Amino acid sequence: MAASMRRLLPGNCGRFIQNVLPNERLLESRYSKSHGNTFQRTLPYVQFRMTHSPNTPAPWWTKKLDTSAPEDLTSDNEAFLQDMVEEKYSVDSPLKEGPWERADWTPRSVRCGLICRKIGVIPQWLNNGKKFYTTLLQVADNHVIRYTPPEINRERRRGSRTPNFGIQVVGADSADPRLFKAEYLGLFQEAGVMPKHHLSRFFVTRDAVIQPGTQLNAMHFSVGDFVDCQARTIDHGYQGVVKKWGMKGGPASHGATKFHRKMGATGGGGNMARIWPGKKMPGHMGNEWRILKGLKIWRINTKYNVLYVHGPCVPGPHHCYVRVMDTILPLRKRKGDGPKPPFPTWFADDYKDQEIPEEIFDESLHRFTASSIEFEEEK
Amino acid sequence: MAASIALARQITRVNINNTKICRLSTVCTDGAFCNASLKRYSDVAPSRSDPEPDVVESHNETLSNAQAHYRYIFPEILPNPDSTRRNKVCEMLERNDMMNRRSVLEIPEFYVGSILAVTASDKYAAGNTSRFVGICIDRGGCGLRAWFILRNVIDDQGIEIMYEMYSPMIREIQMLKLEKRLDESLLYLRDAPNEYSTFDFDMAEVPHVAGDHVPINPLKVKLRSRPWLERYERQDLKGVEDLGLAQKFYDRAKQLATPWEKYDIMKQYRATVTAEDQDEVFRDIHEKQQQIEQARIVRRRRKKLQSNR
Amino acid sequence: MSCLTLLNGAIRNGFGKASFSTTQSLQQIIKLSRLRVVDNSALGRAAMQSGKPPRCIHVYKNTGVGTIGDKILVAIMGQKKRGYIIGCRQKQAAGVPRFDSNNMVLVDDSGTPLGTRIRVPVPSCLRGKATGDFSKVLAIASKFV
Repeated sequence: MAASMRRLLPGNCGRFIQNVLPNERLLESRYSKSHGNTFQRTLPYVQFRMTHSPNTPAPWWTKKLDTSAPEDLTSDNEAFLQDMVEEKYSVDSPLKEGPWERADWTPRSVRCGLICRKIGVIPQWLNNGKKFYTTLLQVADNHVIRYTPPEINRERRRGSRTPNFGIQVVGADSADPRLFKAEYLGLFQEAGVMPKHHLSRFFVTRDAVIQPGTQLNAMHFSVGDFVDCQARTIDHGYQGVVKKWGMKGGPASHGATKFHRKMGATGGGGNMARIWPGKKMPGHMGNEWRILKGLKIWRINTKYNVLYVHGPCVPGPHHCYVRVMDTILPLRKRKGDGPKPPFPTWFADDYKDQEIPEEIFDESLHRFTASSIEFEEEK
Repeated sequence: MAASIALARQITRVNINNTKICRLSTVCTDGAFCNASLKRYSDVAPSRSDPEPDVVESHNETLSNAQAHYRYIFPEILPNPDSTRRNKVCEMLERNDMMNRRSVLEIPEFYVGSILAVTASDKYAAGNTSRFVGICIDRGGCGLRAWFILRNVIDDQGIEIMYEMYSPMIREIQMLKLEKRLDESLLYLRDAPNEYSTFDFDMAEVPHVAGDHVPINPLKVKLRSRPWLERYERQDLKGVEDLGLAQKFYDRAKQLATPWEKYDIMKQYRATVTAEDQDEVFRDIHEKQQQIEQARIVRRRRKKLQSNR
Repeated sequence: MSCLTLLNGAIRNGFGKASFSTTQSLQQIIKLSRLRVVDNSALGRAAMQSGKPPRCIHVYKNTGVGTIGDKILVAIMGQKKRGYIIGCRQKQAAGVPRFDSNNMVLVDDSGTPLGTRIRVPVPSCLRGKATGDFSKVLAIASKFV
């Protein structure tokens, strides 16, 4: 984490487990009224230094991977260990405490999000014949791991701009417990789920709390909803100014001597006779948290837990983790008059006896089982 | 590993087009490597188009027999070979959409060089449909993005239309003449006299008997005089008559040629979907394809009975 | 899948290779593009037969790139005339026809076409642009594609 970020964190953060990303300031800015919306459509691109947070774990984070030497187990012992793991996690043990109370959704509620995997981009067609691209986001075996109420959150994160939000930690992609250290496995004891490859944090209002151990499905969202997708962009490595900042460089020929892809001048002179901080220069490009807002969900596949989200431009490379949340855009977010979302999430147990359709389509989306589109004669 | 060894053995036998490693290339189950060359047009796999079969053959067909044909009927069913984008779930969902569309719209087996008639919905056309007849000069795309280009010359004006195969705006794709040409792409017809690209809109369907081999039209096109849109002497074109250029063009073409590419096994490997993955794909669609074909046969029988009455 | 490898920018001289990237041949209709007049107007026919086809000198569009249905100003036989593009060599969207030549019809200042017939097929998507002046052009079209 950047040195500047570490200074902002409270002193007792040694106990505060930070295996989760992304950058909290970025998250907070979504919900704090004072900061406002940094990524408004009308503003030009503003360099935001805190997006360059690295992927490396901070020293006080819980150590994750078990990097001890291989144990050279016999095949019998291997089999025994695998049986132990299966025995521990295959049984659905009863909850320690009963199911938590569920509140009702209000327009001011902020629900938990999902951690999805970007699995591909597919074209789809509308009923008027228009073609567009959709990104397939597969909900990657999500379980809620923990909930931290706003009081504790407020104490730990002094100066936080989101004092009334709780934190919901969600895990994605169950993994073999033998991959991890004991202290990392301890994170999942409360929830009673298999350890996860990836953890992420979502800010939620108090009424939107979900009990740890709950599975999250694609049905958490509905077709026609708008979501925000946040992920780390494609890592382009160290890049020059032409690719990184879109500078024009110099002429390819006409006698240009060693000036084809350079920056050119660095400043003006005068009072501030130095290179200004933030000057666009070559450097590392990509692997930054970016959020794409207001993407419509056109289709949901409930069998494979896949969301078909509008556009081919969800940040990140193929197979990356994407955080998917209800949108904060004022014109696209849920109003009080429309249908209410499953709150705090969609519980599979409530629909045990009902048959859920395998595919749910938006009404203006063309279904491939339907006949070809025909235009009616205008009278 | 076994697949790559088999590949290495076959590669020396085949004359591969240097300029394009075609994404349509596949590894045949009979061991011959097919890649953008004449080897694809071998007589091993006969055509699968069946206008009026009397016997319900396809229903009893074994999977392995069917698989030998599927890569010709659905070249676009195989996913993009780019390994960074492969995902089984995504490919399966896309394939489901494709097969659902195919169950509604009959997409015939066709090749570059076949003559097709496409009827599409068009809100600006008379009767809200427009029909276009033309020779398929190129096809490509993977999955739902599959496309093909039809070319025709109408009133001395060369016209090409690109159609997206799985677009729901297409109402009908009629096969007028099923045949192949000596090249994978006929883009050189743009530099050929109009006679080579003119096809009557009312031309009668040339019937093709089921199980027959797809005929290869050995026509050699005589191009117009230069300037041309592309440097045809640098492409290994079989379906064009002697270009009649000065020797310097052929010399330059030889300088730029990359004859070592046909020995580049890894390049071929990266451009193809492995045989194991192909089998998985074809196995997945086999059942659905059989259902589609069965439904089609039933529909045709019903039509025949009605017309007989 | 057309072979545009020749335009991939490796320009080789006798000694080494100086490479810079070039765009594909976009075949856009911009200023100084030559067009083919496809109506039966006397001016159009004379221009095409004289071997001096009209050249676009202005595209009535913010981007400066003309496609099917756009109005342009051409220099033809020493005069300036307006016209509509009714066929493009540029790669088009699916379902939209692509022509082998950039076709146009000449039109006077009031929007009336100079010719009485268009002798080549015209894309049907032009009907979607039939507002005022354009409907007069469509009226003289004989075949739609």
